[in-house]
Formats: sequence, C-alpha cells, structure tokens
Amino acid sequence: MTQIYEGMFLLDNQVVREGWSDAKALVTSTLEKHGGKILSARRWDERRLAYPIKSSLRATYLLTYYELPPEGIAGMRLDFDLSEKVMRYLHLCVDAVPEGEADLAAAENADDFVVPTPPEDDAPDVEEQPEGEPEAAKKAEEKSSDAPADAAEAPADKPADSEKSAEAPAAPAGDASANTETADTAKES
Amino acid sequence: MARRVPKVIAGKNCDDPIIDYKDTEYLTKFLTPQGQILSRRRSGFCAQCQKQLKSAVKRARHLSLLPFVG
Repeated sequence: MTQIYEGMFLLDNQVVREGWSDAKALVTSTLEKHGGKILSARRWDERRLAYPIKSSLRATYLLTYYELPPEGIAGMRLDFDLSEKVMRYLHLCVDAVPEGEADLAAAENADDFVVPTPPEDDAPDVEEQPEGEPEAAKKAEEKSSDAPADAAEAPADKPADSEKSAEAPAAPAGDASANTETADTAKES
Repeated sequence: MARRVPKVIAGKNCDDPIIDYKDTEYLTKFLTPQGQILSRRRSGFCAQCQKQLKSAVKRARHLSLLPFVG
C-alpha cells in the first residue's frame, strides 16, 4: 500500500541557475527511482535563509506531493542525504494533496511560465526594496516640508529662548544672593 | 503582591487553528524575539494545538524558514 507524502526540498541556487527543469528533475527522478509517483511538484519560493547552510544565504524551495511505497523510503532518504545539491528536505505523511496544489503545479508546467533566476546571496530581498524606497522618500519629503516650518518657527522661538537664557542666569544669582543672605543671617545670629 | 497576568496572544478557545510549517508569518507570532516558542500560558493554545505549534516551528527551523536563535 502506498502512502501520499509531502516533500519540501531545499535546492541550492547554483543548481537552479543552471535550469529549473533540471533542478526539479533531480528530485523527481530520485523519487521515481525508488518507486515513487509524482502527484505534483512546483517551485514554492526562493528566499533568504534564516541561517546559512553550507555557506549559502539563499535557496529555492521545491514543494512536492508523491506516492511512495514503504520499501523506497530508506533508499530515498539515503540518496537525498548524500546529495550536495539538495541542502535539506522534509518528508511528511499527508492524507491527500491539498486543493489547488495540482492547479499551481499545472500552471508551472505551462509553456509560458518563466521561473525567475535566483538572485545572488548578497542581493537584498526584492520585497524590501520597493517598500524601503518610498518610505525613505516619504521621510525625506517630510523632513524637507518640516524644515521650512521649523525655520519659520525658529525666529519666534529664538527670542523666547533668549529671554529664558537671560532669565536663567538671574535666577541662580538671585538664589545665590538669597543663600548669601541666609548665610549672613546665620552668622549674625 | 498581585500575580502578574501574562499577555495571552491567542484566545483560550483555539478552534482548530491551521498551523502549518510553511506559514512562517503566523508562527512568528508565537515566538519570542530570541526565537523561543511561547509557553501555553502565553500562546493560549490547548495542549493539542501547542504540540502542533511545536512541530511546525521545529520543521520550519529545519528548513531554515525560521531561526533557531535570534
């Protein structure tokens, strides 16, 4: 009796750059070699890793659903453990293939589907760039819009500051005199 | 001295939450800034859901979707 499994494979971006179909075939052929039947296989994501694996900072995830006889599991595990192109893999039992998964896999197999080339390890995340730039631009605009207002307020503030500064030395002087007075009175007494 | 009440993130009645290792955004809600899994007291999950959370986080860590530390 065969069981349906979900497999998530972490592929080295260097392999993916050489060709997505070859990278995908690397996993699917290994599964088929051990008696597996691929139900769906698609590129799940390409993202920055939470921690470096074999000095790689980015990798591509391949999500597959397959049927595999129990005799093939040990051999499959051994093959993926020894493979340097598959950095990590996760092999889970599932009841059924989730809805919509087959459609996504079929969409990837279409002729017009183009798998984007994975960026270099040093490259920043694509999502961060567009968000970061407008924010920076907004902040710059806010600063520029605030600057004249501050400048306009500044002259009004300055006299107040100058008054304060003028008053400030007076208070300690007064206090000092008060202190001296109390000291004098203490002496007198 | 009054006992400090911990901040509960999920409701006490966790009605069959979908805890998947691929949904890192959801899982991060139940992690400390250092990457530790929150206790049941703070996550508000029942024992069964807390176990699912634990498994999902550990699977995500293995695939480098979530960090072990930090």
